[in-house]
Amino acid sequence: MTAPRPEVVFAGTNGGTLTEIAAYEAVGGFEALVKSRALSPDEVIAELNASNLRGRGGAFFPTGRKWSFVPKPDKIDKPHYLVINADESEPGTFKDREIMLRVPFRFLEGCLIAAHAIESQHVFVYIRGEYEAEFDVLESALEQMRAKDLLGEVTIVLHRGAGAYICGEETALLESLEGRRGQPRTKPPFPAIAGLYASPTAVNNVESITSATTVMEIGGAEYAKLGVENSTGTRVFSLSGNVVTGGNYELPHGFPLRDLINDLGGGIADGRSLKAVIPGGSSTVVLTADEANRVTLDFDSLVGAGTAIGSAAVIALDDRCCMVQLAVRVSQFYEHESCGKCTPCRVGTKWLTSILQKIEDGRGTQADMDLLVSVAERINGKCLCPLGDSDAIAVMSYFDKFRDEFQAHVDEGGCPFHGTSSLDHLLAPVAMHVHNEAVAHA
Amino acid sequence: MSDLVKVMIDDREVEVPKGTGLVETAASAGIEIPVFCYEPRLGAPIGACRMCLVEVEGLPKLQAGCTLTAQDGMVVKTAASSEKAAEGQNATLEFILVNHPLDCPVCDKGGECPLQDLTFRYGPGNTRMSFSKITLEKPIPVSPLIALDRERCILCYRCTRFSSDVAEDNQLVARNRGSHTEISTFESDPYRAPFSGNVIELCPVGALTSTQYRFEARPWEIQNVPTVCGLCPVGCNVNATVREGKVKRILSRNHPEVDGGWLCDKGRFTYPHLTAEDRITEPLVRGKLGLEPVGWDAALDRAEELLRGAGTRIVTALSGSESVEQAYALARLLRVGLGAHAAVLPESTSDALDAFRLPLSSIASAEIVVIVGDDEVADRAPVVDLWLRAARRNGAEIVHYGPTGTEQTGPGGAAAALHALTESGNGPGDRLRSAERAILIWSGGGGGGGARLAETAHALGLEGKPGSGAFHLPATPNGRGVAAAWAAAADEDESNPEPIGLLIVSGDEAAADPAVRVLAERAENVIAITMFHALAVGWADLVLPATSSLESDGTLLNLEGRLQRLRRTVIAPVPDELAWLSNLAGRFDVELSPHAVVVFDELSARAFGGVDGSELNGTASLPARTPYEAPVPAAEVRAAASAKPSDEHFLGELRLLRYRPLFSGPFVERVGELAFQRPTAELELSTEDATRRAIATGDSVVVRSNGTSIELRARINRGLIAGVARVADEHAADLHLHVEVVKL
Repeated sequence: MTAPRPEVVFAGTNGGTLTEIAAYEAVGGFEALVKSRALSPDEVIAELNASNLRGRGGAFFPTGRKWSFVPKPDKIDKPHYLVINADESEPGTFKDREIMLRVPFRFLEGCLIAAHAIESQHVFVYIRGEYEAEFDVLESALEQMRAKDLLGEVTIVLHRGAGAYICGEETALLESLEGRRGQPRTKPPFPAIAGLYASPTAVNNVESITSATTVMEIGGAEYAKLGVENSTGTRVFSLSGNVVTGGNYELPHGFPLRDLINDLGGGIADGRSLKAVIPGGSSTVVLTADEANRVTLDFDSLVGAGTAIGSAAVIALDDRCCMVQLAVRVSQFYEHESCGKCTPCRVGTKWLTSILQKIEDGRGTQADMDLLVSVAERINGKCLCPLGDSDAIAVMSYFDKFRDEFQAHVDEGGCPFHGTSSLDHLLAPVAMHVHNEAVAHA
Repeated sequence: MSDLVKVMIDDREVEVPKGTGLVETAASAGIEIPVFCYEPRLGAPIGACRMCLVEVEGLPKLQAGCTLTAQDGMVVKTAASSEKAAEGQNATLEFILVNHPLDCPVCDKGGECPLQDLTFRYGPGNTRMSFSKITLEKPIPVSPLIALDRERCILCYRCTRFSSDVAEDNQLVARNRGSHTEISTFESDPYRAPFSGNVIELCPVGALTSTQYRFEARPWEIQNVPTVCGLCPVGCNVNATVREGKVKRILSRNHPEVDGGWLCDKGRFTYPHLTAEDRITEPLVRGKLGLEPVGWDAALDRAEELLRGAGTRIVTALSGSESVEQAYALARLLRVGLGAHAAVLPESTSDALDAFRLPLSSIASAEIVVIVGDDEVADRAPVVDLWLRAARRNGAEIVHYGPTGTEQTGPGGAAAALHALTESGNGPGDRLRSAERAILIWSGGGGGGGARLAETAHALGLEGKPGSGAFHLPATPNGRGVAAAWAAAADEDESNPEPIGLLIVSGDEAAADPAVRVLAERAENVIAITMFHALAVGWADLVLPATSSLESDGTLLNLEGRLQRLRRTVIAPVPDELAWLSNLAGRFDVELSPHAVVVFDELSARAFGGVDGSELNGTASLPARTPYEAPVPAAEVRAAASAKPSDEHFLGELRLLRYRPLFSGPFVERVGELAFQRPTAELELSTEDATRRAIATGDSVVVRSNGTSIELRARINRGLIAGVARVADEHAADLHLHVEVVKL
């Protein structure tokens, strides 16, 4: 084995769960909260800044700085809100659900610490609607905390989403939480100034908040020793795709991607070979096998390779995967999840999918190849939120890095895999998570 | 000025106040940033359509120009100077057109369509889209007034934002998501709300069209004639779209101080009354077989005969919808020519309110608005309701004392509520006093036509504060103008002739008024000046056909005290009132011009401070405030008015509150498409009264009073004060003031 594997998020679980409050307290639970409440909000934020903890939802924005943007209560006469984004929906990502299932108290403790830091008494946890077990665990944990009067002045509300990827985008989440259509808002104003109910709001990811508990427990400086420069601490990587043992792996940032796949993941299944890796969820630029073997799992290394750490969802693709079919599947996802508010995303994702399907079906021409690029470019950077951009970026990366495969579809008048391609264990097709025939077209 | 900022747009420097929208900033430099979803009147920009993409120095991505405001030193490049921005704009237009049916030749919007115009200016010449366009069922009837073509819809969300953020009726929504998003009403119910028609004008494509206007005209064969709406005392500025001498459509003509560019459905959709089946197009006299047509010479001879026969024993019942010129002409003929001074005016009016004059748009920026009165504001002066909603969204406190108000008082409690405001320790009263921008509104009958309101406004010191003021919402469109014109015609006092030799009924509202009918029973003869046969039959000895406000030149005085110009948008099928009044006046040696402009000049010198009629063209301005003069005391406030009505009577009786719905009256009744907007035959009950009688919404109830008994459908109105049963006038039949309500 390569580097050491400190457990921070899942510390004390020994591979199991900490869903009973006594068990959590036995491993030092709620000490960070006590410590934090003894500090001023600014001191808590300073500790977070010292840790350089950065957002685990995908944008990698420094958590302490995000909190510091929330105005002090004497500056603005409105309630302050903490909203937790537990609407984990990025294809390939399944870390937050495990965190909520196994260490619910560490997560909720983090909520209370964050609420203290931004001087908020109102916490909303917006949890993905499909996460029923996770919801139950959180509800039970909250009940246990209330019984011990740990919440103080703070109210924590669990709010279940209704099944929209876009509600993982923070402003769409806030709209949905307010009871409106889940559609993104224009920014500015940013949620820190005018978020939930037009009031100052911090929106944080589950893993970020859970990590904040550890930061306060061990201290920012100590936390910063984990991982690498610019990417401190650990990260729960969701490994999936054509590997032998997929699952969540908590690793320090900077861990070699190759080792995650080959050592922890047991390598590529069925004796196949690695073709490509999607390193940070379906929205990120794909890496070829060569590129994947050279990068480490941290912000700088992945950005240097032209991609991003995103939500830390690592999807390994083996050599059976037809990249055009993958592109169809990914693009269908974004088309299906487009909220419909802005034009390029609403229209462009559908058009892009149609062009990709045409190429996959062997009806594509050289002009369609050009059109594909053009439509993707016309989506990218023109949308209201990152959803449409993500489709274009992902599809374009497949096209750029596997252009020959796309070309072969056009030249051969059909898929060069002749029906042997397999997307098994990759991203679930839209039709599998749709019960509405009207939208399950292909 | 310190808050001016300099912005560079396409290498042109422009100076604007900080915070000005970028679209407006660019426009001030003569540069167009094209938009679809952007419409400042709908609230904060949403940046949805992406048509306005611009490049902003220092920002890597293209920005939605509509969401930006001018900041000092900002450097912006539009599509005119930035290839990147142009590419963004082309991308947006290409995407918008991908599913648009391009059926412009058969689209009502064609020729006056922003999508067509912007495609012409910026769009691609061909399409790269080779897949089938989305096809959908169409047209969808959003209501009997509005048709929806979802294929044409570009999902700019203007209509849904109007519904949720301006009118706040929350009826138009978007459902489904992504490319399946569609505009709809909840469960496809008809869009039944007072302001629904505005979404037709807001739609930047032909997705929402008027069922009345569908396939009626092409934009190059129409004329838009600027006039004002003559159907309520707001006087919204409108354009009448005319094709081949027929009104085909009414559009808003934004007067920022009066209507903000909005129009109610009554103003927008009632124009078909002009061609109503029972429209009277020639004079009628009572003959052996009822009303028989006669020529105009004979009719005027008969009128002269009736007038001479009655002499001073003439009573004139006015509608309050006449132009000031018509009222003045009638008054000159009768008062000067015959010495017949007796008039039944539609309502009391008071000049005292002129000391508290301010534009209706000031309501939107008020800190506190207190409304008193029995009527819903939207029923009396619909657009005022939109100004009030804007005020509430801007943070104003809105208090309404009335049977359906936020502070519930019994019917007739307005004056008492006003009086209470002036007493020390009254919360809203204190805040009206202390606020810089405080507004009082009287919405209901009584109160001396605003006299009581003026007294209270004076007591609260509102005349000294430029952002504060008071509005009386009259029941008729031009009641005050008519009263002023009548008064200006002669100096003599009114006398009440008995018996009445001749009753002259001016206008359709007067003709439809039961009180006027009662008066007719005491008159030897009746002359009716009316548009519709049904209103003349059975009581008139002579019927002189009337014109509509859309057919005559003239002037109206609105509830703010603003004189506004009516224009003849089409030639009426009958002679103008002024023409035959002038003829008749000549027979009584009264000189009277048949031209409204000339009549106005004469009247203006007598009643309106000599204001020049030409100043009323375009968007008329509001005259300055006049010094406060205490109104002549009217009847004292009844103390009992504020008490709960159920206390006054034995248990079981309810006080009947009649109201005149917005969608009522002779014009509305003649437009089939508006039938769904009219109130159903229902009786509103408070939760308390309904519960006591075990009545649920939807139950049939019998309403009885003193020998009259009618059956209505019950509806629980949670906002209604206990002890009151509320019913639309047209469904109240002959019910008396107190009724018994029993579940059937």
